Amino acid sequence: MSQALEGLRVLDFTWVVAGPVIGRALADFGATVIRVETSKRIETARHMVPFQNGKPGPENSALYSTCNAGKLGITVDLQTEAGQALARDLARWADVVIESYAPGQMQRWKLDYDSLVVDHPDLIMLSTSIMGQTGPSSRLAGYGNVGAALSGFQDIVGWPDRPPLGPFGPYTDYIGPRFSLVTLLAALDHRRRTGQGCYIDVAQVEAGVYLQAPEMADYAAQGTVVHRVGNRDRAFVPHGVYPCLPEDGKERFVAIVARSDDEWQQLARAMGRPDLADDVALGTAEARRACEDELERAIAKWTANQHPQDVERRLQALGIPAHVSASSRDFCQDPQLAHRRHLVTLEHPLHGATTVEGPRYLLSETPGVVARAAPTFGQDNEYVLREILGYSAERYVELRDAGVLV
Amino acid sequence: MMGLLSPYRVVDLTDERGLLAGRLLADLGADVVQVEAPGGSSARRCPPFLAAGTPQQESLFWDAYAANKRGIMADLDQPDGQQLVRQLAGRADFLFESATPGVMAARGLDWPDLRALNPSLIYVSITAFGRSGPKSGYADSDLIVWAAGGPLNPHRDGDRPPLRISLPQAYLQASADAAGGALIAHHARVRSGLGQHVDVSAQASLGLASLGQVLAHAVGDEHPEFEPAPRRMDQSGSGSGTDPTQKKWRCQDGLIEFHVGVGPAAGGFTSAFFKWLADEGEPVQEFVELDWRRVPVLMEEGSCTEADLQRARAAVASFLSRKTKAEVLQAAMERKLLCVPIYDTADVAHSAQLAARNYWVQLGEGSRQRRLPGRFAQVSIDGFAFRRPAPRVGEHTAEVLQEWLGGARERPAGPAGQHAEVPA
Repeated sequence: MSQALEGLRVLDFTWVVAGPVIGRALADFGATVIRVETSKRIETARHMVPFQNGKPGPENSALYSTCNAGKLGITVDLQTEAGQALARDLARWADVVIESYAPGQMQRWKLDYDSLVVDHPDLIMLSTSIMGQTGPSSRLAGYGNVGAALSGFQDIVGWPDRPPLGPFGPYTDYIGPRFSLVTLLAALDHRRRTGQGCYIDVAQVEAGVYLQAPEMADYAAQGTVVHRVGNRDRAFVPHGVYPCLPEDGKERFVAIVARSDDEWQQLARAMGRPDLADDVALGTAEARRACEDELERAIAKWTANQHPQDVERRLQALGIPAHVSASSRDFCQDPQLAHRRHLVTLEHPLHGATTVEGPRYLLSETPGVVARAAPTFGQDNEYVLREILGYSAERYVELRDAGVLV
Repeated sequence: MMGLLSPYRVVDLTDERGLLAGRLLADLGADVVQVEAPGGSSARRCPPFLAAGTPQQESLFWDAYAANKRGIMADLDQPDGQQLVRQLAGRADFLFESATPGVMAARGLDWPDLRALNPSLIYVSITAFGRSGPKSGYADSDLIVWAAGGPLNPHRDGDRPPLRISLPQAYLQASADAAGGALIAHHARVRSGLGQHVDVSAQASLGLASLGQVLAHAVGDEHPEFEPAPRRMDQSGSGSGTDPTQKKWRCQDGLIEFHVGVGPAAGGFTSAFFKWLADEGEPVQEFVELDWRRVPVLMEEGSCTEADLQRARAAVASFLSRKTKAEVLQAAMERKLLCVPIYDTADVAHSAQLAARNYWVQLGEGSRQRRLPGRFAQVSIDGFAFRRPAPRVGEHTAEVLQEWLGGARERPAGPAGQHAEVPA
């Protein structure tokens, strides 16, 4: 079978994480994605860890690399009229345009939906931003940490006796693109059936709040406000992350959950604590919740002189949920992820080879393929202008020498 | 109101591990039929609850993520129920399931079984670790997947163990991926006429939520954390490499999120922030004049020191302690600052922005009415369809059988006749 999205042409004006991973998914499944950036104002992800061989540099970020693998890359100075004209030519070529600039920027370049749709009536364009393109706060710019603050996630990660810690990184950057992709793919199908394109405006905050839908219903119905509870859970007790023997001078931890009273009793026996297992006063989650501090101390005492892998193995053999708190090394050596071929090694023009994450879902008949490493600055300038847009050699050289392709 | 996916039918066999996927398709207009066992889905036992501890207790998790679907009853562990699912799958475009690997095969309802009946069916599995492989049989829960998938381990508050988000999120992320994977498979079907199996692993889904950290070992970066200064200062605008406790500030009525950013991408926002302080009369001229874009370089040269940054941070703390969340949000918009209030549940629910964008939907009437997140995107054409609250057990069995199967089958002798007796 041919690739699911073969022939789909995508023009990608996105940066950091929430925008680029949309086009990344489309590229994995066969779309041709041209990513436009500029080396004059280097995009944030290129400055972010981890770096190839631990060496900082704008061509070395593994975050940039995993968000943009499989795409063609060109550098265009969109501040110039010639750069904007080039972008409009690319938009005429494209089926889909994706962008993640601060709201208003694409209008200033006359690259917004209303400008582009004039020449391209069935265009599908998607903008992703923190707050959305409309509404009283639409002008609020920001990264996903701002999105996490305004969607309620910053407040609900942390220990109850300390200020909130917030999620790891710009949390809504991970959520927004999933909703963008679903909407975009649905819009493509709608266009296939009806010939009608559309404009899609995704706000990271709104995607984030969707993942708290039960809590939003709860607040509306009975005024409940979510509080941070460390690693505890509303349903399961015990439910935590416990210290193990250090390895290579690094602290190690294991996550353990008892989903039922029976699992709790098995856990207590595995810990060599039949007294806890047989204590009828601990027979329900609600009863255990009343002495959760004490139970957590008992578990931590048991895990403290073990390796996390051993705890995982022993408890999983009993059917009790447990897993090493996976470091990057654990993740990269995980036999399950290896079974799924989740990490993909690619040739790289500067580094020889690099590694990115593979598609997040396996399709049995048209599997995703990561065709190439993320582009270096301007790697495909000549190919895109000459081969895809059909510009003459003279025109390409003229633009290059005029400093437009930077 | 039709929605972008109005022509399509979905059989949804998921429990709490996959419930959200079908809701996304339903919101976009698909006809999604949620199948439950006679005792009701296990997702109905997931918190939070309305009227907890009373006979009227109801799961708001169910109400939120089964909303917009129709409900029918079938016991997948009985031949009747299995036969009903086979018939529905014969008329469906998509099927979602989130059973522990092996369970669907034992029921005769796995992908190879249903593919034989309907070669164009897209069969989507949402599991903790994937449908096959050495950990596919692992006992699972949100925290276990979070631990295996990468975002847990690097997230520490000082001396305490790694920390998850206080609400389960792993399967929600995986379920959103499942909806995306299903639609990619749909585009393949448009070409070939054939369905396929989509195998979603929640563990693999979560790598993204580590912000690339899971790749550190593979690319040879054994210390993927930012160091204080100067070699690897965190120059990202989000401050993603900075201790999160250094980005939270007390204000009069809560907390503010603000990263004192440095370097070419983020320094300009810090300059704008100190300009705000100066305009309001704070004695911070030296920090207005400091080129925050060049701070990493200045620190390397020694002309800017950690002590200077400490004084800047003290000025930030003092200033923000006298502001309200609303004042900070206003200034952030007017001055383009990366500085926002940290919203709690109530702030989100009352957000003027979300209201202006018509984000919320009220589904159901009377005691069944729920206020839920709705439009997860603004689409310039008729994109969404919000039709109904989450179903009661078996609420739509009769009408679904009639519409999907017509007169082609008898009502099942077992479960489907009982639906009126089962409380919602």
